[in-house]
Amino acid sequence: MQEGRVLPAKEINRDLLRSILTTPNWYWVTVAIMAIIVLGAMSAAGLMINKGMGMTGLNRPVMWGFFIVNFVFWIGISHAGVMLSAILRLSKAEWRRPATRAAEVLTVFSLMTAVMMPLIHTGRPWRLVYWVYTLPFVPYDFARGIWPNIRSPLVWDPSAIFTYLTSSILFVMVALIPDMAVLRDRTTGIRHQAYALMAMGWQGTPRQWKLQIISGILLSALILPVFVSVHSIVSWDFGMAVAVKSWHSTIFAPYFVVGAVHSGVSAVVFVMILLRWIYGWENYIRHEHIDALGRLLIVVATGWFYFFVMEVIFGFYGREADEIAVREFQFTQPPWNLWFIFFTGLTYFLPVSLWLFKWTRRNLWIMSIACISVNIGMWLERFLIIVPGLAQKQMFTFTWYTYAPSAVEITIIGGTFAMVTLLMLLFSKVLPLIPLYDIKEGDMLKTEIKIGRATVPAVFRED
Amino acid sequence: MVTQRVDHKWGMVIDLDRCTGCQACVVACQSENNLPINTKDLFLQRRAYEWIRIERYWEGEFPDVKARFIPILCQHCENAPCEPVCPVFATYHNDEGLNVQVYNRCVGTRYCANNCPYQVRFFNYWEPVWPERLRNHLNPDVTVRSRGIMEKCSFCIQRIRRAEVTVERRERSNLDYATMKKRNFLPACVSACPTNALNFADQADDSGPVKEYFDDVNEHPHGEAHDRKTRGYRLLEEMGTKPNVIYLKKVDPFPLRKGVGHGS
Amino acid sequence: MPMAFGIGLGVSGLLLGLGIIGFVIRAMSDGFGAHGPWGYYAAIFSFIFMVTGAAPLAASIFRVTKSHWRRPLTRVSELFSLIGIFNILLFIPLMFVLPAFRNPNLTPLAENELDLRRTIWFEVPIGATAPQWLDLLGIACLALCALVILWLSAVPDMAQARLQATGFRRSFYGVLAGHWHGTKSQWLNQKAGLALLGAFYFMLLVFMQFTISSDYAQSLIPGWKDSIFPVIYTLTGFQSSLGLMLVILFVLRRWGGYKNYIGISLFWSASKILLGLTLLWVYHMFAFGITYWYGRLEVEQNILKYLLFQSYGWLFLANLIFSFFLPFLTLLWNPVRRSDWGPALAGVFVLIGAFLFSWRIFVGAFNAGDVYNIGLEHVPAFVGPDLWDVLIVLGGLGGAVFIYLLGSRLIPMMCVWEIKEGAMYQHMGTFMRGRYLVLAKPE
Repeated sequence: MQEGRVLPAKEINRDLLRSILTTPNWYWVTVAIMAIIVLGAMSAAGLMINKGMGMTGLNRPVMWGFFIVNFVFWIGISHAGVMLSAILRLSKAEWRRPATRAAEVLTVFSLMTAVMMPLIHTGRPWRLVYWVYTLPFVPYDFARGIWPNIRSPLVWDPSAIFTYLTSSILFVMVALIPDMAVLRDRTTGIRHQAYALMAMGWQGTPRQWKLQIISGILLSALILPVFVSVHSIVSWDFGMAVAVKSWHSTIFAPYFVVGAVHSGVSAVVFVMILLRWIYGWENYIRHEHIDALGRLLIVVATGWFYFFVMEVIFGFYGREADEIAVREFQFTQPPWNLWFIFFTGLTYFLPVSLWLFKWTRRNLWIMSIACISVNIGMWLERFLIIVPGLAQKQMFTFTWYTYAPSAVEITIIGGTFAMVTLLMLLFSKVLPLIPLYDIKEGDMLKTEIKIGRATVPAVFRED
Repeated sequence: MVTQRVDHKWGMVIDLDRCTGCQACVVACQSENNLPINTKDLFLQRRAYEWIRIERYWEGEFPDVKARFIPILCQHCENAPCEPVCPVFATYHNDEGLNVQVYNRCVGTRYCANNCPYQVRFFNYWEPVWPERLRNHLNPDVTVRSRGIMEKCSFCIQRIRRAEVTVERRERSNLDYATMKKRNFLPACVSACPTNALNFADQADDSGPVKEYFDDVNEHPHGEAHDRKTRGYRLLEEMGTKPNVIYLKKVDPFPLRKGVGHGS
Repeated sequence: MPMAFGIGLGVSGLLLGLGIIGFVIRAMSDGFGAHGPWGYYAAIFSFIFMVTGAAPLAASIFRVTKSHWRRPLTRVSELFSLIGIFNILLFIPLMFVLPAFRNPNLTPLAENELDLRRTIWFEVPIGATAPQWLDLLGIACLALCALVILWLSAVPDMAQARLQATGFRRSFYGVLAGHWHGTKSQWLNQKAGLALLGAFYFMLLVFMQFTISSDYAQSLIPGWKDSIFPVIYTLTGFQSSLGLMLVILFVLRRWGGYKNYIGISLFWSASKILLGLTLLWVYHMFAFGITYWYGRLEVEQNILKYLLFQSYGWLFLANLIFSFFLPFLTLLWNPVRRSDWGPALAGVFVLIGAFLFSWRIFVGAFNAGDVYNIGLEHVPAFVGPDLWDVLIVLGGLGGAVFIYLLGSRLIPMMCVWEIKEGAMYQHMGTFMRGRYLVLAKPE
């Protein structure tokens, strides 16, 4: 925050609300393209539900493939929101300010997308709602008093994910209230009424600000256990399995959570660089923010790498023939060994070596490449955890096989990416992707100290 | 419900010494249980399935090669890994020792298949189709499953139920092994096996062929396997799934080398 | 020296002496052939290594995160480097008790035994490069690195102190302070050195905690294949060392006369981190427990019965209470976290919890029966301490305290230059009718 100048509030409002109050041409073109891709994916999904799961590349023994990889991937991306807005808010890092809204919104949309994946990957999705969850997300014993099987990790999943979704939406809505009020005061007609409804009578009185800040802190603290538990529970979809030896590792829970933070924060960095370029927000998303995020990512990536190495070492440690067979399959047999090398390089070695130097951290092209490489690598990571373990389950080599995705699967996966992009674009038309009051608050708290002959930037803090 | 109910505990013993790999059991199971036809397309996609399959392993190098056969079917494990993971209770362990699959409850998440170490669960990737002329051979006692449903060997529970209803409740007599064999109440694979490699009975039935093996294996769990009197063993014993299927080691008069493959 | 300090030094020295007696008698009566009798020795080594190894990290980590409240804490944490040498000495006897990798009863190999017991070293070190030597090397490097961090951090203070000291101290400080004059490049070099060494120390420490916990605990219980255990071990170390530092800072603030330098903001912020670490600890324990419990595999159930529910069940319950329930319930309340005694109380709880953890794991590991089994077939029984074990445990604790107290006589417990820097960077300012802290952010 040293590098930007303190801007007057009018200018902040004008800059950050520009995306809402005006619409450039490229916007509708992009929305149309994304919508077409999403429609294409939906029709592919409809075709698959109609004809059967045979439209995918799944077979025996690989009964979970691209859809589950994608599910875990989007849950992973959703961890960025809490990391950046909750944890950094509680630790009072000033450089979080432009990132929080985009991160929280990306969380909500990627969670919604992730939830769709287990729904369409079941054999009879129309039954799923009937049996597991009926009334909005409330389990009800329809027939003969049989409730959902709470011993199954697949029932823990929706409980955790919907809790996270609900609390994330709440988090975003509460943080949006002051910004809704700004928009309410600058629009007319139906838009004005909509914003007025959502702003809930916000006037900016000291008491309202106090309540706003307290609820932000409370929500940040309460969402932290949810954030840790969500991806742990998703990891236990695999960790609880005993037949697939490479899945039955106690470290899966923290490994997946750290991996999720890694991919999620990288995704947010990429989104911010995009936003800066698209909307001309050079004064708000500055090099120092990307620099600080890059340094955070080094720590997260190294933590992830530690968990990954632990998982591999203890895979060999047990000296169980079936587990070693799976690992050897991954490390030595093409094309899996190529995917493995790509994955380690893209997830850790390439990005971290780029993040180690200040000049690379401050170069936005290089940071974009690093962040995209992390996400490709993390997608591959989930793929390499899920599929090889299934392909060579136990030592019944007669049943070993492999897996290749079908066109339907690839279309649907592409559709999920388009869906998240589409939702983010639509959101940016309605609400600002950088929180106005956060920026203004950061500017207000800035001051200076004279130390000897030097004038050093400083901030006001409570403790 | 029924008043006089006899508690059975079904078990199967497979003698690997007698199995010739003829696949009669596979065909019998397919016709008894309305399994879809294995067409060339399905086979190439590797979506065709057999509730009981003969796994064939090669041992040795040419010209000293031996083929080893092992029929693998649902082991109806007491400690089944597939049961706790189903979100809708579509698979559970009934009190006769069978692991049952409830077709109309299954939503097709396929976690049970992933968690089965014996890979004996099969998913309907396509809607099964029988040509017109084959429709008459469908067994009316067995449900026809649509796409998206998981299925597996049920120990021909339709035959067991028919046996219980006919012999125990209507005729009020004892359902022992001899009765089951004579009146065709044994599972299809057991009836079809030409060499009597597959044997099926109540584990407590003295007249049945399986009791001595179950008693022996249960008395000496895997830690003291070398104390066993018979050739019996369970597949993947160290996993602790406690299958209700016991395999009898093949007696090999001309072994290639020791300690290879299943149970040699 | 003040009376309390003298008593502390005397008592800890006495305990150290008793510990040496206990060790000698144990060595003479049981020898180093079997590892069973050395369980309690390993437990106290693990506890001291865990706590004092992680302590210097606090300084490095909080410098990297630029937490303004870290300043009184840094030297307190860096002084634990001195105990690194004690760790090396404590570890040496353990090198001789580790059972060999190769199963001595190879012919005939029983059905349920392995020919080579499980190891994280991929069967590479047999003979001269056996893991105990690698572990020793690692612990020695850790100690060396920590001492260099301590020295680097202490150089400006010693340069200051040599001007005021007399006699032996003057020459001692003079030698260690070297050519320090406080020029800009010297300060920058010191800062860079501390950052780099801190990062290296962090990585080496995490690695050593992985190796020690695997070689001396996990690989000694047959069938215990647990990828999260090194993480739990590391976390317990971090949690307990932060707790210990809060206890020391509380003592210094109340009775050490440092009230003006150790502010409540340190307790307020560090207690949040302690609460986070406590929650992380129980989360990792839960991840281990649920993964092992769910599958109903016999080997895993036996290990759960051994370490968690039956043999060491009461010890596990006590561990859970002291490492999680009590600190959690203490640190949950804002007024408690905003005091100085609250975090210190939580620190005492987590220290006891870490000790119970080491006791449970290492005594359990050293007494788990035949290490060459494929898996635990029967659940071994609890092994209680005898008199020499008690003396050894007390001796270890006493020794660590003794060295720390001696060290505090040589090197100041508050990092003078860091506190002066803090004073430069902070003052109180007025913002909108309120008085708040103004914190400089020079980077």
